[in-house]
Amino acid sequence: MSGISSLPGSTDKNPTPFYPDHLFVEGVAAIAVFLVIVLIAFVWQVPLEEMADPGDTAYVPRPEWYFLFYFQLLKYFEGSLAVVAIVVLPALTLALLVLLPFLDRSAATGIRKRPLTAALALASVLCIAALTALSVLEDESHLYTMDLPPVTDEQIAAGEEIFGRFCQICHSVDGKGGFMAPDLTQIGARANRAYIEQVIIDPQIVNQATIMSVIPLSDAERHEVSAYLSRKK
Amino acid sequence: MNRIYQFIDERLHLGPLISEIANHPVPDHANLLKTPKAIIYCFGGMVFFILLLQVLTGVFLMFYYVPSPDHAYASVTYIRQETAFGGLLQSVHRVGASAAVVMVMLHMLRVVLTGSYKNPRELNWVVGVFLLLLVAGFSFTGYLLPWDQKAYWATTVGVNMIAGIPLIGGFLADALRGGSEVGALTLTRFFVIHVMVLPALLTIFLAAHFFMIRRQGISRPL
Repeated sequence: MSGISSLPGSTDKNPTPFYPDHLFVEGVAAIAVFLVIVLIAFVWQVPLEEMADPGDTAYVPRPEWYFLFYFQLLKYFEGSLAVVAIVVLPALTLALLVLLPFLDRSAATGIRKRPLTAALALASVLCIAALTALSVLEDESHLYTMDLPPVTDEQIAAGEEIFGRFCQICHSVDGKGGFMAPDLTQIGARANRAYIEQVIIDPQIVNQATIMSVIPLSDAERHEVSAYLSRKK
Repeated sequence: MNRIYQFIDERLHLGPLISEIANHPVPDHANLLKTPKAIIYCFGGMVFFILLLQVLTGVFLMFYYVPSPDHAYASVTYIRQETAFGGLLQSVHRVGASAAVVMVMLHMLRVVLTGSYKNPRELNWVVGVFLLLLVAGFSFTGYLLPWDQKAYWATTVGVNMIAGIPLIGGFLADALRGGSEVGALTLTRFFVIHVMVLPALLTIFLAAHFFMIRRQGISRPL
């Protein structure tokens, strides 16, 4: 039996008992976690969409955020390659996870003495983070489609003028403008034109807590602004 | 109080059992009172706490929830709008699911970075991997239950993916759906898996996880 006290290298002189001292610490931590969960639950009212309609095949679903990386991964393996993302990669990952303690058998536990394991762990975290980020970015611009007039140079010029009058008080572009709202210098690379139009029509679609107000623009003026912004890349 | 305990202890001889659970020493490197770095040893305990929270909120949701396509959406709407604190309750269950995933990831990272999966704890690591799969299963099955558009179509996509597995995929997908499309049978299946099958498996694997921690102790410091 490899109990804590008999472990080599254990130098603790007066180890704390689990009950009540350690349980108290865990309890305090649990209360903190609980409060954070309730706070988030309170602020972010869980959305409930329309009732399921099996006939509405145009609906594009999104998985929960922690499955987004996998959702994004699937996009890179289409058609006959899908089997790679559905079977091969998950099976390899699972096998690697289960076998980890049997592959990494050295006695070393320090992270600097195990560069391969450390690198693999770091790479996995970075991959998941990057795929999640990509999924979110692509999502925002591809969710929205609209019938829009083609972009002309006149539109872009007029859009820049309108942007200066209404938007630049809060939004900055190329270093000029307010700090109240996100910088839009490269908005064209992050969002498509339809998405920009949607935000102008209803700012709340991006973020329910946004302070952006509905800007009173005519359809033509809005097209001009979206034409201008969609070219800011 | 003391006499009640004595009455029970004389008959069941609980003393050694209780001291086995409560009186073991916690090493300094995992003790937040002695070193702030010990916070990384907290994540596993927090996963357990959040799972308890999920059970509790889940029980209250189940008081009202009806797992049929005709009533699921209406019963969730009822919970949100008509019951006392129902909206908050559902939110906590949903946020709790996310919190559990975050804590599981942090716990796993801690175990990898401190090399805690090594001899003699290989088996506990493997049990932990199964617990990770169980948490993913809870998330996948729970997502369908509100029966809104997102629930229905996300599940359709998910099960279609399973159908893409060569040879057995078609059978697996049909078994999970109870047919060729996501419908009434899918909802009852996912509900039963979510509230019966997975909790039973979770209890068994968690018990094994905790038993091994007590038997083997918390891994020594870096």
